Amino acid sequence: MGSISKNILEIKNIEVTYNKVILALHDVTLNVPKGKIVALLGANGAGKSTTLKSISTMLASERGEVTKGSINYDGIEVKNQNPSEMVALGMVQVLEGRRCFGHLTVEENIISGAYSRKLSRGDLNAEIDKIYGYFKRLKERRKSQAGFTSGGEQQMVAVARAMMAKPKMLLLDEPSMGLAPQLVAEIFNIVKELNEKEGVSILLAEQNTNIALRNADYGYIIETGNVMLEGSAKSLLNNEKVKELYLGISKGKRLNFKDAIRDSERKKDAIKKKVH
Amino acid sequence: MVDSILFFFEVLVGGLLSGTMYSLVALGFVLIYKASSTFNFAQGAMVFFAVLSFCGFMEYGMPFAVAFIAVVFLMIIVGLLTERLVLRPLMNQSEDTVLMATIGLGFVLEGLAQAKWGVEVRKLSLGIGDFPIPWIADNLKLFISALDLTAGFVALGMIVLLTLLFKYTKIGLGLRAVADDPGAASSIGIPLKHIMLLVWSTAGVVALVAGMMWGARAGVQFALIELALKALPVLIIGGFSSIPGAIVGGLLVGAVEKVLEVYIGPFFKGGIEAWAPYMLSILFLLYRPEGLFGEKIIRRV
Repeated sequence: MGSISKNILEIKNIEVTYNKVILALHDVTLNVPKGKIVALLGANGAGKSTTLKSISTMLASERGEVTKGSINYDGIEVKNQNPSEMVALGMVQVLEGRRCFGHLTVEENIISGAYSRKLSRGDLNAEIDKIYGYFKRLKERRKSQAGFTSGGEQQMVAVARAMMAKPKMLLLDEPSMGLAPQLVAEIFNIVKELNEKEGVSILLAEQNTNIALRNADYGYIIETGNVMLEGSAKSLLNNEKVKELYLGISKGKRLNFKDAIRDSERKKDAIKKKVH
Repeated sequence: MVDSILFFFEVLVGGLLSGTMYSLVALGFVLIYKASSTFNFAQGAMVFFAVLSFCGFMEYGMPFAVAFIAVVFLMIIVGLLTERLVLRPLMNQSEDTVLMATIGLGFVLEGLAQAKWGVEVRKLSLGIGDFPIPWIADNLKLFISALDLTAGFVALGMIVLLTLLFKYTKIGLGLRAVADDPGAASSIGIPLKHIMLLVWSTAGVVALVAGMMWGARAGVQFALIELALKALPVLIIGGFSSIPGAIVGGLLVGAVEKVLEVYIGPFFKGGIEAWAPYMLSILFLLYRPEGLFGEKIIRRV
């Protein structure tokens, strides 16, 4: 089996610069196997969004550019395409921060996702119904103005809208941002379902390491524009460093600020006692 | 008594009908505001450019219909060049930057039009007189200009057409999506350049129609550009992003300025027509900044 048939996306050693001077990614290499969910983890400013945007070619509109390395999607070299060409090839990004069309209704938002496809009225309705099958909550809100729906519903609209383009691959940028844990779980369940039933491959950028790894097959951790660690989702969840730095668990005991402060106070006291 | 009521109606109807001309101009502004979130200062120049070219083509001996179609194509080319040379390089720049660019574009269009066609005032005859329609004058005792009435119907027709286009077509949905969030629209594969081209070309055609109506009344001349700026109070009152707003705003401005001119004007020694709409728009800015029909700014708290 050639690598093209196994991986839908292969990124090799890419470097990204904004405005020709600001280096955002140093060296990122990652693969997304067909039909799998891959998590891209890291803190704010680590380069997760930049990585996604360089794949969807949304980078160009922010004056960013891939200066080294290569991106291969489904056997095609991603270089001078524009976002609408990428969408036509089946690669759709769900931008960070939901970005619904606030003045359009929920249903109009969803329909707008099929803009790149030529569908008859009947096919379009069938597609919408199928999407409502996954996003049952949205069906009830179909006539509401998207700007007035809740944050969780807006995130669902954004994913549903992207699914209407019939993507082979979805790039999700922080779907959990600013949402209550319950809603985050609901959204990840839907994402998982879409992955399993529709066969859409997913590259998921997240700060919420725990929920991302629980739903993904494989994960990459990036810091300041470099891949620091990679492995199967299970191995990452059990990795001591990941536990300590990204999951807030240290050697079986939960480490929080209070504990940390108490620990350091104790140490200080011990030193004082020694001095006196 | 009856006479004075009739006179009031005559003033009102005259005002409303001339207001439709404001609506027509404002319509062009709304189109571009929807797509680029910016006030297109070049719209006045586009009106001038379009109607002057129309006159020029007629002088070359083109029949009315051929000249009209030729100018429509010309305005599409202007839209194409604007998208390519002005809007695309300024993509993702602030709205203020685009606003300044439209001022520059306005000067370029004014200059081009005058360089090609000269500066003299031209007469434009649409075959519709600017005099009262005899039938209405005889039967209803109202003096209503045929030109005003035609402009009213033309404006109404364009409004209906554009509203249907935006509400029920795919490209209209694309336009509304771009108006809300261009970045998100391009992320789902809505091609921004097609939408921009469509909007600027449509605004060009609207400018031509508005210019023909105004030109037939006031002559095709440079002053059309300033007349077009009357669209500013119209838009503040009606709402920048709303097509119905442009219409109602135009009607309101037309009616208010005529009624005030006739009844209150004498106390100010006349001439309040020129500033009354701006006063009204200041009131709107203070108490209803989104205008009558403007989209409320949605902010989640």
